[in-house]
Amino acid sequence: MASAIAIQPDLEFKKQILGLGAHDLTACYQCGTCSVVCPISTSDNPFPRKEMVWAQWGLKDLAMANASIWQCHQCSTCTTYCPREAKPSDVMAALRDYSISHYAVPQFMGQALTHPKYLPLLFGIPAVIFAAILGWLGHLTALPEGTVVFSKFLPILYIEITFMAFITLSVLGALTGGARYWNAMSAHMKANGRQPTCGEPRRTKLRLLSTLWTILKHQKFRDCKEDTAKRVTHKEHLHRAHLWVFYGFLGLVVTTTSVGIGIYAFGYLTPWPLWHPVKILGNVSGLAVIGAVTVFGYRRAADKEKAGKSTYSDWLFLSILILTTATGYLCELLRLSGVRQIAYPTYYVHMLFVFFLLVYFPYSKLAHVVYRTAAMLHPSSAASPTAQS
Amino acid sequence: MSKKVGVYICTGCGIGECLNAEKLTAIASGPPASAGTPVVRTSKAFCLEDARIIASDIESGLVDSAVIAACSPRVNTDIFRFDSAFVERVNIREQVVWSHPPNHDETQALANDYLRMGIARAQRATVPAPYQEANERSLLVVGGGTAGLAAAKGAAEAGLDVLLVEKTGQLGGYARRLHKRFPQHPPYRELEAPDIEATIRSVQSLPNIRTLLNAEIESISGQPGRFSAVIRREGAREQMTVGAIVSATGWVPADPQTLAAYGLGKYPNVVTSMTLEEMALKRSLVRPSDGRPVKRAAVVLCDGPADNAHLPYGGNVSSMVALKQALYIREQNPDATVYVLYRNMQTPGPYEYFYKRAQEDPGILFMHCDIQSITENANHDIVVEAAHTVVGGSVRADVDLLVISEDMVPATSVAQPSGTLNLTYLQGKDLPATQFGFADSHFICFPYETRRTGIYSAGSARQAMDLAASATDGAAAALKAIQSIEESSAGAAVHPRSGDLTYPKFFMQKCTSCGRCSQECPFGALEVDEKSRPALDPNRCRRCGICMGACPVQIISFEDYSVDILAAMIKAVEIPDDADKPRILLLACENDAYPALDMAGIMRLQYAASVRVIPVRCMGSVNSILIADAVSRGFDGVALMGCKSGEDYQCHFIRGSELLATRMQNVRETLDRLALEAERVSVMEVAISDAHRIPALLEEFTQTIKRIGPNPMKGFE
Repeated sequence: MASAIAIQPDLEFKKQILGLGAHDLTACYQCGTCSVVCPISTSDNPFPRKEMVWAQWGLKDLAMANASIWQCHQCSTCTTYCPREAKPSDVMAALRDYSISHYAVPQFMGQALTHPKYLPLLFGIPAVIFAAILGWLGHLTALPEGTVVFSKFLPILYIEITFMAFITLSVLGALTGGARYWNAMSAHMKANGRQPTCGEPRRTKLRLLSTLWTILKHQKFRDCKEDTAKRVTHKEHLHRAHLWVFYGFLGLVVTTTSVGIGIYAFGYLTPWPLWHPVKILGNVSGLAVIGAVTVFGYRRAADKEKAGKSTYSDWLFLSILILTTATGYLCELLRLSGVRQIAYPTYYVHMLFVFFLLVYFPYSKLAHVVYRTAAMLHPSSAASPTAQS
Repeated sequence: MSKKVGVYICTGCGIGECLNAEKLTAIASGPPASAGTPVVRTSKAFCLEDARIIASDIESGLVDSAVIAACSPRVNTDIFRFDSAFVERVNIREQVVWSHPPNHDETQALANDYLRMGIARAQRATVPAPYQEANERSLLVVGGGTAGLAAAKGAAEAGLDVLLVEKTGQLGGYARRLHKRFPQHPPYRELEAPDIEATIRSVQSLPNIRTLLNAEIESISGQPGRFSAVIRREGAREQMTVGAIVSATGWVPADPQTLAAYGLGKYPNVVTSMTLEEMALKRSLVRPSDGRPVKRAAVVLCDGPADNAHLPYGGNVSSMVALKQALYIREQNPDATVYVLYRNMQTPGPYEYFYKRAQEDPGILFMHCDIQSITENANHDIVVEAAHTVVGGSVRADVDLLVISEDMVPATSVAQPSGTLNLTYLQGKDLPATQFGFADSHFICFPYETRRTGIYSAGSARQAMDLAASATDGAAAALKAIQSIEESSAGAAVHPRSGDLTYPKFFMQKCTSCGRCSQECPFGALEVDEKSRPALDPNRCRRCGICMGACPVQIISFEDYSVDILAAMIKAVEIPDDADKPRILLLACENDAYPALDMAGIMRLQYAASVRVIPVRCMGSVNSILIADAVSRGFDGVALMGCKSGEDYQCHFIRGSELLATRMQNVRETLDRLALEAERVSVMEVAISDAHRIPALLEEFTQTIKRIGPNPMKGFE
C-alpha cells in the first residue's frame, strides 16, 4: 500500500489547466463515471477520474508523471456520460497540452507554441535562414530561368543541411523531453512501491514490438471506437481519420527518404516523373493527409459541442499540417504549369511550413509521437503485477 | 332491532353481465338472508340519476340503512353519502366481477356472500352521534425559533389566537447565531443575511399572537380542541386552554464527547461548525491556537460509513453548512486553500447551484473520501488523512483549522431538567420518539403528526433541517393544527380516518380493568379512571380500533364497527360442504391492503374466488376471537393482510401491524386447542402499490389450504 499523498496544491497549475480549455473541470463531483465508461481504462489503472482530481487539487507533479493522460485517445465517451458536464476529455487534452510545454527542452520552446504572439519569431527563423541561402545563391534578385526545377532555386543539399542540423536539435529536444517524462513516470511508480521495469530484457523487447504493432494497427483508436456498441462516443471519425493522416504522413516521410536515396545513391535527379511509384506514393500520401486533416478541422469547427474545446495548439497544428501539404501541392501544380514567378516563391513558403512542422515538432501537438509512445511503452501503463495474477 | 334495510343492486359496469342479479335480489328479499328486507331495487347505474331513488327512500323513512351493492366504497363516496342513514357499500364490482370469471357459480357465490355480509352489517350498525364538546380554536406554539415563528405567523394570519412560548429571553433561535444563511433567491449562488429580525417584527406586529419569553411548559393535559396548558414564567403560573399545539423545540448540538475522535476538545485548531459561525460572525477567522491567519483549512462533513459511530443518520444540512463555511474562510482569508472532505454531498433542489458555485472557487478543493485520522503536529497544525479517494489511495493534508459538522439532535432527545411538553398522559410526559429521539410518526403519509393527536412537530425538532425548510415546516405544521382544531370541533377524526364521526364506546359493566386498551393505544387516547377502567378523551382518538382488538372481553365497539358486527358478517358467509370449494376469510386493512385489492380488480387481475374479504380499520383492531370464530364456523383459512411492521413500519396507526404479530401467538394457541394447523392463519404484509402481488399471495395461501385439507369443523354449526 502506497503511503498517503501529501496534498500541496499548486493553484497556478490548476488555473492554467482551466485556461487550456478545461474550464468545466470544477463541476466534477468525483463520482467516477468517466472511468467506468472509458473504453480503454482498466480497473487497476482507472482514468480519467484521478486526472480530474489531480487537476482540481493542483497536484501538478502527479498529473505530469502519469501515463494515462497519453493513453487517452480522446474518444470523449467520458464527456458524453459525465453527469455534471465537467468534460473530462477536455481536461485530459489540457493536461497533454500542458505536459508538452512542461517537458519541453529548451523551456522557452514550450511556451513558443502556446500563443500567437510568438508566430512571427517562429516563422522568422526559417524565413531568414532560407532567405539568406537564396540571397547567397543570388536567387532573391533573380529567379532561375527555364523550366521550373526547384533544386535550381534552392538546391537540395542546402535544404538537407539546414533540416539535418535543425531536426537533429529537435530530436535531441524531443528525446530529452521524452526522457524527462519517462523518468517522472518511473519515479512516480517507485513512489507507489512498484518497480519501474518490465522485467528481463526479452520482455522489454516484446513490449517494444507489441507497442509498435499497436500503433501501426491504431489498435487503441479501434478500442475507443469499437465499444460504441455499448456506449456512445462523439468521435466516430477519429479512428479512420487518424489512420489516414498517420499513414499519409508516413508515406510522405518514405517519399522524402526515397528521393534522398535516389539522389545521393543513384544520382537520380529531381523532378521525378509523375508516374514514378515514389511520386505516386507521395501524391497519394499528401491527399490522405489533406483529406484527414480536413475531416479533423471540419469536426472541430462544425460540432464544437461534441469535438470538445479546441485550443490554440489544436488549431495551430491542424493549420500547419494542412498548409504544409497544400503549399506542397501548389508547388507541384505551379511547377507543372511552368509559372516560374509564382512557383519559386511558393516553394519558399512551403519550406517555411515544412520547417515549422518538422523542426518545432517536440513543442507542437506532433510531440505526441514522443510522449504517447513513451506512455504506451512505459511499464506504468502495463497491467500491474497484482492485476496480472 | 327494528332496522329498515334497503338493498340497492347495481347492474352497471359489467355487473349485470357477469352475475345473476335475480339471485342477488332473491337473497336480499327474504330467507335465508336472516330477516327479510322491505326494499330491494336494481338499477343499471345507481351512481347517476337513480341515486335519487335511494335518497327518496331514505327521506320518506322507508329505509334507514342502505346496502348498495355496486362499486368499491372507495369510489363515488360523495354520491352515496346520505347523512341520516347508515350506508353499507357491498363491493361487487372491483372485488367480484372485475377480478373473477364471469357467470361462474363460485363468482356468484362470492357476490351472494358479500351481499349477505353487507346486510348483516347494515342490520347492526347505526349512524354515529359525534362527540362535540371541545372547540377551543387557539394554538399553542412551543419554541420561538424559525419554525415556531413561522407556525405562529401562519396560524395567526389564518385567524387563530396564538400563544407563542419561548424558553429563552429572545425570539429567533439559531438564526441569530449564524453569520450567513444559504441562498434563497435565484440564481442561488450567493449567501444571504439571516435577517431573522424581520420575521420577529412581523410576528410581533400581529395582534392575535401573544408571546411569552423566558417561559416553560409546566404541564399539558386534555385533548385536541381543549388542551389545558400550564405555563411557568418568572415564578408565576398561568393556565390556558388551547385547541392544538405545535412543538417547534428545535435542535441542540450533540454531546461534544461524541466528536472526540475528530480531535474536538483535544486539539485547539479543531472546531465545530457552530464555533466557526461565531468566529465568522466576529470576523475573527484565525487559528484558535495562536491567532495567526488561516492559510489552509479543512471542512469535514463526518458523513462516511466510519462516522456512524457518533450519529447514524445524516442530512443535507451538514453538506450545505460545509459549503457555506468553506466560502466564509475564503471570504475572510482570500488566499486560503480550503478542503471540503465529504462522502455524501447532499444539495437538494436549487442548492445544487450553490454547490457548483463553491466548486468554481479555485481555492476550494473537494475530496470525496473517508476520514482516516486526524492528528496534530508540533506546530498545532492539524494533519488530516483521508482514504478511499477517487485517485485511489490515501491523501494527507496539513491545515491550520479543521471544521467538523455539528451533529444536530432534537432538543427533546436530550434530558432537560424542566422537561419540554410535560404531558400529563398516562403513557408518559414526552412525545413517543424514534430511536434517534425524533417524534415518532408515519414518516411518509403523516410526517408532522406525532403520536399525540393535536400535537404537531415542526422544524429541527422533527428532522434536522435548514432555516428555509424550518420556516416551511412551521407553516405546514400550523395548517395541520388548524385541520385538527376544525375536525375536533366537529367531533370527527383528524387523520388518517378524516371525518370519521364514530369513537369507541365501552360496555363498562363487563370491564375487568386489565388496562390493555390504555396501554396499547398508540396515541395515548385512553387514560384510566379511579377504578382503573379506561377513560377516553375522544378527540385524542384516531378511531383505529386497536383497543377493540386488544380487549380480552370484547367490550369496546364503534357504532358501525364492532366485534359483534364483524362476527355477524363472518357468520353470513355460506360455507359449502365441498372439499373443492374452500372458504378463506381475508381481513384486509382499509389503508393499504383493501385499496390494493381494488386495484387488482381495476387491473383485471384474477384471484381465488374462495376468498371473502372484510375490510378492517387496522390490523390492530382485529380481535383474536374473530379468528377463532371464523375457523369454528368452518372457514378453511384466515388471512390477515396489513401494512409492514418493524422499524420502518408502514402502519397508518403506528403499532397495529406490530400488535397483530404479538397477538398471533394467542391465535396459534387457539388453533392448537382446536386441533387445527397453524398454517390455516396467515399474516401478509402489502403496500398500497402491491396490487400485482395480490393474486400470487392469495393463490399460494389457497394452495396451502388445499394441501392441509378442509377444515374438520365444517358443518358442525
